[in-house]
Amino acid sequence: MIRKTRVKGTWLAATVLAVGSLFATALPAHAETGVSSSEIKLGITLPLTGAASPGYNKIGNAMNAYFKYVNDNGGVNGRKITLIQKNDEYSPQLSIAKTNELVLKDKVFALVGPLGTANYTSVHKSVGIAKRGVPSLFLNTGFSGFGNKKTYPTSFMILPSYAMEAKIMAKFLKENYAGKKLGIVYQNDEFGIDGLGAFKAAGTKFDVSVAYTSGTQSAATAQTWVSQLAAGGAQVVVFFGVTSATAPLLAVAAAAKYAPQWILGSVGADPLTLRALGVPLAVLNGALTPAGNPSPNDTSDEYVKQFQEINTKYNTGTAFDDYVLQGMNIGLMTVQALRAAGSNPTRKGLISAMENKGSTFASVAYSPLGYSKTSNVGHTGYYMAVMDANGDRKPFGGKVTLYTTDSGSGPVVVSTFKRPAMPAKGLPNN
Amino acid sequence: MRKKLTLFILLGWILLLIGDRVDELRVYQGAQIAMYAIALSSIVLLTGYSGQVSLGNGAMMAVGGYAAALTLNNLGGPVWFAFVMAVFVSALFGAFLGAAAARLSGPYLAGTTLALAVGLPEIANQFDFLGGVPGLLFDVGFPPERLGEEFTQYKWFFWIATFLALLSLFITSNILQSRYGRTWRAIRSNSLAAELSGVHVGRMKILAFTISSAIAGLAGAVLAMTISLVAPGAYTLALSFALVTGAVLAGVSSLPGVVFGALILVAIPEVADVLATRWGGDENLNNYLPGLIVSVLLILSVIFTPNGPGEKLKSRHHKKG
Repeated sequence: MIRKTRVKGTWLAATVLAVGSLFATALPAHAETGVSSSEIKLGITLPLTGAASPGYNKIGNAMNAYFKYVNDNGGVNGRKITLIQKNDEYSPQLSIAKTNELVLKDKVFALVGPLGTANYTSVHKSVGIAKRGVPSLFLNTGFSGFGNKKTYPTSFMILPSYAMEAKIMAKFLKENYAGKKLGIVYQNDEFGIDGLGAFKAAGTKFDVSVAYTSGTQSAATAQTWVSQLAAGGAQVVVFFGVTSATAPLLAVAAAAKYAPQWILGSVGADPLTLRALGVPLAVLNGALTPAGNPSPNDTSDEYVKQFQEINTKYNTGTAFDDYVLQGMNIGLMTVQALRAAGSNPTRKGLISAMENKGSTFASVAYSPLGYSKTSNVGHTGYYMAVMDANGDRKPFGGKVTLYTTDSGSGPVVVSTFKRPAMPAKGLPNN
Repeated sequence: MRKKLTLFILLGWILLLIGDRVDELRVYQGAQIAMYAIALSSIVLLTGYSGQVSLGNGAMMAVGGYAAALTLNNLGGPVWFAFVMAVFVSALFGAFLGAAAARLSGPYLAGTTLALAVGLPEIANQFDFLGGVPGLLFDVGFPPERLGEEFTQYKWFFWIATFLALLSLFITSNILQSRYGRTWRAIRSNSLAAELSGVHVGRMKILAFTISSAIAGLAGAVLAMTISLVAPGAYTLALSFALVTGAVLAGVSSLPGVVFGALILVAIPEVADVLATRWGGDENLNNYLPGLIVSVLLILSVIFTPNGPGEKLKSRHHKKG
């Protein structure tokens, strides 16, 4: 009997302990989460370490560099921007844990640039981004599913969707490589299948089709891809996967003296990262890729020039590549969105600013932005580019031919859209 | 038995009241505490009672998590059925594994289960129907509307996790106090003596492995619920080690201690965050510090209180009494 009482006592003590610790915090009250008279707090989750981090790990620092530049020039309506970066190592469960910290503990005003398709799908569901009304701007993923405004009412894309990209590639293949044997290597998840579905809808027939599961890419698996492609006699190969898979594919193919015309999807085609992963320049020379932004080396572009200057001063020692350009551009668009939300920004105000004025924002990419009350789609087009022997890329055919389309059954058309000019000194005044 | 049931219902009621009064991060952490409490109770049963050391609990959790997700995604049906399948499939898996484990002991068993913890979650990368690295969605759905607008997703997770934790702890505590619990303890103390007194040691060890796996599988499904997906990255070796540490700190043979162990496991990342912020706020430090703290706690605990601090307190209590 004494023992039983003691056991019960221990149970009770254990529970009281658990309960006590749960009580250990209280909620402070304030006007709008993450906004004070002197500061606006923003958060991002992205891989800073781990296999998927090369390239992506530069985006947060680039955004931060741009925000520091804006802060030094008066901030946004007198408020300084603080960006909290959280490392999720590209793992969805870490993304959830870290987003929880951002939303519930750090109490950020909005998320900007969260990265990864699987990551954001689970974060959105588990953390309840829409239910909580947390604005989630400029997702670093092109999964067309995020363009569903009903499911993702507070989220806004920035990249053209993978479906748009595949449709544009399909048109390009038809116009330039009709009659050639086509091959495709794609990542067998939402990302790759998003693209594959669009190819199918556009009527592109691949003679050789190789699927790989995300995480299995290596020199050994690339060997099997290359032998399948070579055995099928593919003369033009489309690659729809991540950079860590592009690198072994190109390296193994080069070693096997298999040299088709490569068409690399925008996700896995950053030349600097590919070179860092050991792909020789000679292999990249002549490879085609859809691109949304100008080359990061093109100093004749007013955006690139301004961002490079900011990078030199505020992101010292970091090579200026596509990822840095993308990070800075997200920073530029974020500042415009915050300004558009008014002098006392609220989460609701920020979302309606995106809906009402988002499509007019200045952005480095050439294609129009699709934001409206019924659409959270970002950029809507690509031009085809060719890589050269210096690891740079130039527009295919010597000048930018911009194609725009949607993620559905709309046509791919050549666009004459002229992007807005870079605000003076790179400081928005909208 | 009836008194214990009343006590558990009372505890559940208190926890639900608390869930209404704390902020959401704490509610989410409450669900995590419940998840860890279930996972740790599977170790208490296996190691603390039947004396079999397993480092592969993370793998058993993975089996439960994937079973639940595959059930819900492919067969549909009510959510509770997914949890039942998680328990059932991991029990089956445990029985199979237990048959091999019963022939091993000490470091050999630890080594085998360690290999399982390393290898099993990676299998998901090899089969498309298991979803590869991104994993599979496991969506238990929104809370029922009748609970009101203010009822958040995390509170729903907390309710489900707490209910399952209380239920599984209640059943486990009854099993441990039954004939089986006594037999396991006899085997742990001296398996030869137990065998001489008529206990079928092999069969009892397999039974312990089976039940322990079933409980771990349930914990795996609860973990999958709190992160809305199953993925190899959720059931890492680090999780298995964290669980062993939690069990040691809880006192390996003390079931109530699992609440304490679970609390520590949830508190470690918080402590790491505070320390990392104090030491300059490096996000990388923040990511690696929890693992370091777990290791240090495990080493300290093994040096100073080999049976866990809980056990030491209890023995002091006994001496005084």
